[in-house]
Amino acid sequence: MEPNAGNDFDIRLRVLSGLVVFIIAVLIARVGYLQVYEGEYYQKRAEGNRIRLIPTMAPRGTFYDRNGQNIVMNRPGFTVSLLPLTAPIKPEVVARLSTLLNVPEKDIQEKIENHVGFEPIRIKTDIGPDILTIIEEQKELYPGVVIEVQAVRNYLYKDEAAHVLGYVSEISDEELERKKDEGYKSGDIVGKFGLERIYDKELRGTNGGRQVEVDVTGKPVQILGEKPPVSGCDLVLTIDWDLQTATEKAVDDQLARMADQGVRAAAAVVMNPQTGEVLAMVSRPAFDPNLFVHGISESNWKKINEDPNYPLDNKAITGEYPPGSTFKIVTGTAALAEGVTTPYEQIYDSGEYMDKGNASGEVLGWLDFVSGLAHSDNVYFYVLGHRLGIDRLEKYARMFGLGKKTGINLPYESEGLVANRAYKEKVFDEDWYVPETLDAAIGQGFNLVTPLQAAMVISEVATNGKRYQPYLVQRIVGPDGKTVKEYHPNLLSTLDVSDDVLSLVQAGLHDVTTFGTAAGTFADFPVSIAGKTGTAENPHGADHGWFVAYGPFDNPNIVVAVIVENGGFASMSAVPIGRSILEAAFGLNKPQPSSNVQTSTASANQQDEQFESYAQDASEEVTNETPVKQNDEAKGANEGMATPAASTDTANAKANGTGNQNQKPSP
Amino acid sequence: MNKRWLRRLNFPLIMAALAIIFISLLVIGSATHANAPSGQRFFFVERQGIFAILNIALAVFLMNFDYKMLERYGKQLYIINLVFLLAVMLFGHSALGAQRWIQIGPITIQPSEFAKLIMIVSLASLLQDKVGKLNTLRDLAPVALFVAVPFLLVLKQPDLGTSLVFLAIFFGMIFACGVNLKILGGFFLAAVAASPILWHFLKDYQKMRILVFLDPNVDPLGSGYHIIQSKIAIGSGMIFGKGLFSGPQSQLNFLPENHTDFIFAVVGEEMGFIGATVLLLLYLVILWQGIKIARGASDTFGMLLAVGITSMLAFHILVNVGMTAGIMPVTGIPLPLMSYGVSSLTTNIMSIAILVNIHMKKQKLLF
Repeated sequence: MEPNAGNDFDIRLRVLSGLVVFIIAVLIARVGYLQVYEGEYYQKRAEGNRIRLIPTMAPRGTFYDRNGQNIVMNRPGFTVSLLPLTAPIKPEVVARLSTLLNVPEKDIQEKIENHVGFEPIRIKTDIGPDILTIIEEQKELYPGVVIEVQAVRNYLYKDEAAHVLGYVSEISDEELERKKDEGYKSGDIVGKFGLERIYDKELRGTNGGRQVEVDVTGKPVQILGEKPPVSGCDLVLTIDWDLQTATEKAVDDQLARMADQGVRAAAAVVMNPQTGEVLAMVSRPAFDPNLFVHGISESNWKKINEDPNYPLDNKAITGEYPPGSTFKIVTGTAALAEGVTTPYEQIYDSGEYMDKGNASGEVLGWLDFVSGLAHSDNVYFYVLGHRLGIDRLEKYARMFGLGKKTGINLPYESEGLVANRAYKEKVFDEDWYVPETLDAAIGQGFNLVTPLQAAMVISEVATNGKRYQPYLVQRIVGPDGKTVKEYHPNLLSTLDVSDDVLSLVQAGLHDVTTFGTAAGTFADFPVSIAGKTGTAENPHGADHGWFVAYGPFDNPNIVVAVIVENGGFASMSAVPIGRSILEAAFGLNKPQPSSNVQTSTASANQQDEQFESYAQDASEEVTNETPVKQNDEAKGANEGMATPAASTDTANAKANGTGNQNQKPSP
Repeated sequence: MNKRWLRRLNFPLIMAALAIIFISLLVIGSATHANAPSGQRFFFVERQGIFAILNIALAVFLMNFDYKMLERYGKQLYIINLVFLLAVMLFGHSALGAQRWIQIGPITIQPSEFAKLIMIVSLASLLQDKVGKLNTLRDLAPVALFVAVPFLLVLKQPDLGTSLVFLAIFFGMIFACGVNLKILGGFFLAAVAASPILWHFLKDYQKMRILVFLDPNVDPLGSGYHIIQSKIAIGSGMIFGKGLFSGPQSQLNFLPENHTDFIFAVVGEEMGFIGATVLLLLYLVILWQGIKIARGASDTFGMLLAVGITSMLAFHILVNVGMTAGIMPVTGIPLPLMSYGVSSLTTNIMSIAILVNIHMKKQKLLF
């Protein structure tokens, strides 16, 4: 019958015929099973009861400071949504809603048209109680309109620590495209900045949903199944909120005092040098992260975006500034470690070196290492820089961790820049000149650091060379209260410099606060500390004021770095902020525990004695370890006098200090 | 002349196809009218109807040609095919996570639909002188490579469903071509062995679909939702169905994609077991006639072409109906002649037209 019947191929084709019959038979059998055998069951599931899916957002994890104080929470917010179940939303309802919510009719119409799937169409988030009441009371006027309760991010302290915490906002199209595989959906609220961004995955939790039975008109009848949302993890920060608040206030007070000079930008970092924990971080100007939560308004965005001081930049980690004299810590360490000077060598400051002079034209005469550092004498460091050469300066700057990210867990950290030949060759296509080495030695020229890097440098001095990675999160705590992840100090590197050298640098930095450049502010400070000021020349405007410090001197657990952009002289801008922060860090800003006025003097004296002994210990320690014995004994004595109890002697102490250095015994 | 021409037509095949197209217009209308914006109530039906008529007219016109001329263009068609698939990758619109569409004027076309038919033609042209000569792996390797390139391009879109159709066509045609059964078996074993590796390359949502197929309750609110809703729709249709335009599951928009990939669920709900069975039997007529035409074809090219087309249709029907009835994983491939979609409709009507053409040429030889 068929032309090629009977051969092997025809058998194969017959097999295929059998196969298609089999396929159709299987499908009919399956459909019959569902419709005839199980029909009643499915009929019941479908008839009268229909299932709808209503997603529930997982509450985002909250933030606590190191002492368990809540900083960021969620609060309930009401969202007006449309749920077109049985019929499309009527145009008159859209018009009514448009007037009530003050949303253009066109926008609502557009959202309805672009909508696919089953989720409610969100029209306006976080409405006030007045609108809520109107919609709830006049339900019949708004068929298809539903009110959803959603968690709204709440930054309890508004712009405090805004740059650390970051902000959240609706996921953008490009983020969605990138993160679709990780389970992100359109309309999701995600962290955009700061810790909110870095820990978004941990904070967001897993959304749940409810299977709701609705009747023919689409009204929910009962909840069938529920997949409860899993809350996000909480973050316990290393931030000490009291200290953060005090730091914010210290910066704000100083900026208020300098407002008439147009100074508006500043940054401050407070750390524990022994661990790398960041205790406070401030950047000015700031912003209120609450503004972003449900789409920032155009006027607010304009205000933030067009501010010439970039409120969205975290200047503590993103701002790159010439380090100025704070860099002398690096130059001094390098000079001693490389043996280009000795602690005893006296270098003569004639007021200028190779046509470069001191900042204010002062002439200080013979200086040894400690006094050169204490007075931040430019000529002294020009000589050291010249002897070292740019390559060794570069090596030590990099050893301190400059020119690369510290690795803090925040986005948009800058690397800074270490002055070096290769950079100049690459960018300017020119050879290196000696005057540039001199500039680099005092932290000018090509050098750039972030305030966090500046804090790291002084931390390394405080800890005899240990460089811990700075971090902001202590623990991640799961919704069940169990710790999911714990962060520990991470030692990144250790300075390849002997303790003797670092002791000398410490001694010099200590003298900065007793008779050097910061003595005016710290001479009466009850805790013995060490620090360094910097007034960094800035090619774009007025000088930046720097201050870095650590304390207590013999057992440092606090490091501070402050910069005031265009603040001019450090002692008039950054140093007062530093003092306020240190006062708060050592608990000196609080009233003394005793309520009795009479005894308060006594307790204050007691405290002074205590700090005196601190100072004594410190000086002994230094004495034992370093060859600059006489010098340090003198310093110890100064310190004893530099207390509030002996405030009249402060001037003497200063005078002694200066005198002391002039009569320095030669080695 | 006219009468003889008519007599040479394959009436069961043509009638079955026309009946399915008619049912499809009813069901698409029922599935879409409720949820479409007013004024566009019958947008989808009108569009599908117009394209059905245009395509049928084109098919009638093409009867004037002999399918055998396709044989000469095998290579050219193959290259055009690759160009189109590449164009989708480079300029395609993405929708629902995949890049499958190209916009040409007012029409969005989905080249991977046409690619299946073009693949069949070029593969038939390649295989026609290899009948009985596919005995070693070495013989088969070039054929496998020939299919692998478009297969991978479609897989990359990503369109797992359509790429699997390519495999079905490949297996159907080399089977008819007399491939050594041991090698065929080896291929299957290799595919099974490679599946854990393939699993690794699947996207998360694809893995989810397979997990959900094995147990819809893994994710009842997400991917499992489609399957659960679709089964409820079919099951609740019972023997006689709820009647056209009155299936609550379909009408209330519980069923996603109810006029495209899940259209069989609307048939099940609104036309019941009787309607579903009638539809499946109509498909059986088409498939049965497809193989019959292959057996009666006047040349190997025609035989391979018919087998390829039938394999494609059979695989589509199995996977699509199987998916809505919960015995196949969710892969977005349409139900031939039923699902809304211009590209798919055109491809399927052209496929039927080719089958008819092969049938007519056989008759001519006999007289």
